[in-house]
Amino acid sequence: MAQACAPCATLRLNGNRTSGKGCSAPLVVQLNKVEEKSAVAEIEAVRKGFESRGYICNAHIATSLFLAERLQKPLLIEGPPGVGKTELAKATAELVGKPLIRLQCYEGLDEAKALYEWKYGKQLLYTQVLKEKLGDLMSGAQGLKESMTRLHDFDDTFFSEEFLEPRPLLKALWQPGGAVLLIDEIDKSDDEFEAFLLELLSDYQISVPELGTIKARTTPIVFLTSNNTREIGDALKRRCLHLYIPFPDTELEQRIIRSRVPEVEEHLRKQLVAFVQGLRTLDLKKLPAVSETIDWARTLVLLHARELDADLVRNTLNVLLKFQDDIDNVDGEINALVTKAVQAG
Amino acid sequence: MTEVLGDFIRALRAADIRVSTSESIDAGRVVGIVGLDDRRTLKDALAQVLAKSEDEKTAFGETFDSFFAFDQFKSRPPAANENDNDASEAGEADGGEGQEGEQAESGGMPSPGSGGMSGERQGEGEPGSSPDLVSLLERGDQAALQMALAEGARQAQLNRIRLFTQRGMFTRRIMENMGLDGLNEEVERRETSGNMPGAERLRAARDELREQVRDYVEKQLEIFTANSGRQLREEVLAQVRLSNIDRSDMKIMRELVRKMAKRLIALHSRRKKVARRGQLDVRRTIRANIEFDGLLFHTIWKKTKVDRPKVMAVCDVSGSVAQVARFLLMFLYSLQEVLPAVRSFAFSGHLGETTELFEREKLEEALVEVLRDFGGGSTDYGQALMDFEEIALDDIDHRTTILILGDARSNYGDPRGDILKKIHARARRVIWLNPEPQTMWNSGDSEMRRLQPYCDKAVTCASLKDLERVVSELLRSAV
Repeated sequence: MAQACAPCATLRLNGNRTSGKGCSAPLVVQLNKVEEKSAVAEIEAVRKGFESRGYICNAHIATSLFLAERLQKPLLIEGPPGVGKTELAKATAELVGKPLIRLQCYEGLDEAKALYEWKYGKQLLYTQVLKEKLGDLMSGAQGLKESMTRLHDFDDTFFSEEFLEPRPLLKALWQPGGAVLLIDEIDKSDDEFEAFLLELLSDYQISVPELGTIKARTTPIVFLTSNNTREIGDALKRRCLHLYIPFPDTELEQRIIRSRVPEVEEHLRKQLVAFVQGLRTLDLKKLPAVSETIDWARTLVLLHARELDADLVRNTLNVLLKFQDDIDNVDGEINALVTKAVQAG
Repeated sequence: MTEVLGDFIRALRAADIRVSTSESIDAGRVVGIVGLDDRRTLKDALAQVLAKSEDEKTAFGETFDSFFAFDQFKSRPPAANENDNDASEAGEADGGEGQEGEQAESGGMPSPGSGGMSGERQGEGEPGSSPDLVSLLERGDQAALQMALAEGARQAQLNRIRLFTQRGMFTRRIMENMGLDGLNEEVERRETSGNMPGAERLRAARDELREQVRDYVEKQLEIFTANSGRQLREEVLAQVRLSNIDRSDMKIMRELVRKMAKRLIALHSRRKKVARRGQLDVRRTIRANIEFDGLLFHTIWKKTKVDRPKVMAVCDVSGSVAQVARFLLMFLYSLQEVLPAVRSFAFSGHLGETTELFEREKLEEALVEVLRDFGGGSTDYGQALMDFEEIALDDIDHRTTILILGDARSNYGDPRGDILKKIHARARRVIWLNPEPQTMWNSGDSEMRRLQPYCDKAVTCASLKDLERVVSELLRSAV
């Protein structure tokens, strides 16, 4: 427990650098204690913390998270699909104990859906309800001009925060105590949206014409993920730290499987990881990622498999490979791959 | 550290990694946070702020490793230890002892004790202008030598090195900064005082040091200018006529095509939409305005999706045109992501479809096969167009763009402009790419005059730059 808590405290403390001065004495003491530790130790602590939350990562990923935290910069994560980009954000949210606010990007995503919207219905309803009240207010007024002046006295009533519907980005800025903001698959959004994000990412603030600039109450931890379907603009990249997550190596993948599917026996785990690693060396349309390996391990557990063999692999290959072409292409190689994998196990 | 970091960033830029000023500042902050104790962590951390794509990460790794390589001196045996009678010049009494010691060790390394002692004594005994270098060399203190070298390099502003012709100059300057004059004086002094073996040994050490410094300079030159030569070369190659390209440059050319294709893909990967101003999209407008009680505040116009062009490339693969054809095909097939439906045809005497071949085999092998099967015959545009009509005319529709690459030299045969007319009538566009300059068109057996009327466009296309322009145009204006 103590092990799990140390990084937790590290991240949370650093993340809570609010604009206000809410630091109580014990926190400061703790903070100083943390500062004294070397960066390497802290990175290791972050890694351990992730591990205790079931997210197995290497020092590289932990380093980037540590830096994102310290520099207060968004982290742009790239890598093939299924290597745990989104999962990293989720694990971080869990680790620091802040809510995860997620914005899924798609073509045509605009400010109204990402940032804020006026509650038109509520505004209309209020005007209807308040109609009589308005009549009363206006009753003594002489002519248009005076009525206008009276109206001006409460002009902003209908364009106040009361009637503002916060969407994910605004929610993340408003969240008391901070949040983890995940902007998922940024490459799917339009160029304009990317440009629109720049203000948020560099200054943690956004401008709403009717209200002015809204600053973050607490700086959120921001993750952006991209599958590289298109190049992300330089301006955006410049504002972010950049983390590339490749497919994991054998050792790391084994640890991931052990953590995620503990029911798998050790030698089967070695075999299946070796098989998947072998599969990745082939020329395929879509290489199996970690998430597929996990699914496959679960499948094998369900089938009570104890040992890999060619038939078993052939029957369950569709868990790993998502294109019929790939399955057909691999078919000839299965025997060789299985033999190799069994030797590895 | 900031200076080293600045140098490192310069080295990164030389290695084709784009580092902006704000990123340099970030790098400085990162170093402040992470510290310099752990090499791996530092590398990981710097990679996060300085290298921002997969390719850049790889380049970053290489540059980091070569820039911060400190093992240069370790691989060499200490200069003074190479000569056995190390301690002799320090004093007669010590000399005898040292030699005895060595003999006892059967001619191996001198004992560290005696070596160190003699060095120290040497330093004390000679408070000359640069006792440092002399003593360092005698002692063979590699770490100190390395530091002296780095300091000398800094003073000589080695990070400004740009050309390989500057190597000698920088080597000399660094040596001077390290105290070459003092060293030379010492050698001379020993010679005049009759200490010939001592002088000889020192001279050998000096020569070796010079080697080391030259190595160091060369390495730095490579770090700081790694790519500038290649960049220049690429720039030149992109503009040179494809038929003049040397075989040895093929690798760079392939790389260049890949790079250009990548750029084009990045530019055109999203399917464009064009709004048709004036045509209201009623359904979506109503949906968008529900919240205003049905009052139409926002109007939404109908849009047309820009289709990706279907491309048919017809390439003359005879003689001089073959080289250009090679690169055109290379280009088109590198663009698979944005041009999914490319069909290719090759001809010289007769024409055949090569689409399947390119799908089945690697680009390079397929190209060789195409040149073997279709190249070499005497060119006959009439026959080629007839074959093309037979194979593919039915598949041409209003979305198809036809690229014809050839010099239109039909060996005085009928080029069959009438078939091209038929093709032109069906296709969206017919673009003729001619590797010859326009002044050469229609000269001799060139039949451009009779074919050009049925092309929407006929352009000269001789260099990689031309090709890029054509392909980019193809992608952009495809409506």
